[in-house]
Amino acid sequence: MQVRRLSHNQNMPVRLDSEDSETKALLDFVGSFAGKRVLEIGCGDGRLTWRYAKHAARVVAIDPDEDEIRVALEDRPHDVRVEFRAVGIEDFDAPDSVFDTAILSWTL
Amino acid sequence: MVHALEKIHRLIKPGGCLIDIHPSGEPPSLEVQAGTRVTLAGWLHESDDYVEYGYADEALARVVESGLFRVERQGTFEFVMRADSLADLRAFLAEGWEDASIDDRAAASIEELMGGPEQDKEVLLREVVRIVRLRPVPVRQSGAAQASAGDQGRESETFEDDS
Repeated sequence: MQVRRLSHNQNMPVRLDSEDSETKALLDFVGSFAGKRVLEIGCGDGRLTWRYAKHAARVVAIDPDEDEIRVALEDRPHDVRVEFRAVGIEDFDAPDSVFDTAILSWTL
Repeated sequence: MVHALEKIHRLIKPGGCLIDIHPSGEPPSLEVQAGTRVTLAGWLHESDDYVEYGYADEALARVVESGLFRVERQGTFEFVMRADSLADLRAFLAEGWEDASIDDRAAASIEELMGGPEQDKEVLLREVVRIVRLRPVPVRQSGAAQASAGDQGRESETFEDDS
C-alpha cells in the first residue's frame, strides 16, 4: 500500500527532487543494477522506476492501483523495458528466489 | 506488512537485497528560496502517513528481530519538492497528499517571503527520507541468525548529495 502519490506528471505544479537525491541514494545503496532482476513494490506511475530501469536486466514493477499502472504504461519510454503489473505484493505471483533486488518504494 | 516482507524474502535470491525507501517521520520543513538564500517558514502538518510509516518501521524491526532479514546499511537523504507559489504547493497536496496541511502561520510566513523583491523565488517542501539495505537471511539459518545477526555490522549514514 502506498499512502501518498508522488507523480512524475509534467503538468504537476510541483517539481520533485530536482537534485535527483533519491536516485543517487538508490544507486549508491544497490551498487550496480547491471545484469540484475529487480522487483519494485509500490511503483506508482513509475516515477522512480524510469530512473534506474535502463541499468537493470529486467524490472517488474507492481502497484495495486490500476490507474497508476495505466499512467506508467502510457508514459513508458520506448528504450526502457519494464513489466508493470497492477497487483499488490500479497497477490503477486512469481517463483521463489527470482529477484536479485527488491525495492519498497515509499510503500507500507 | 510482516507478511509482505516474508513474501519478499521468498522472492529474493540468496545474496540479493531489499531496499526500503520511505520518509523518516520527521516533519517536513516549509521553506522559501530566493536566489541562493533559503529561509525556514514553518513545518508541514501530517496526520496519517507518518503514523503508517511508523508501523512500517515496526514491521521491518520485527523481521530483523526474527532473523528473516539483516540490516546491512542505512542512511537518509533529503527529498525536496519545489513550487512556484503557495497555491501550487497546496494544489499538489490536495491532489496526492490529502492528510497534509499548512497552518495559517506558516502560510503567512511563506506569502511574506514570496512577496520580497528577489527574482526566482520558490516554495520548498523538504522531507528527510530513510533508505535501508537489508539482506535476506536463509530460512534454515534464521534461527541462529536471530541471535547473532541483529544489527551487527550495519552502517548508518547520512547520504550526502555531492551535486
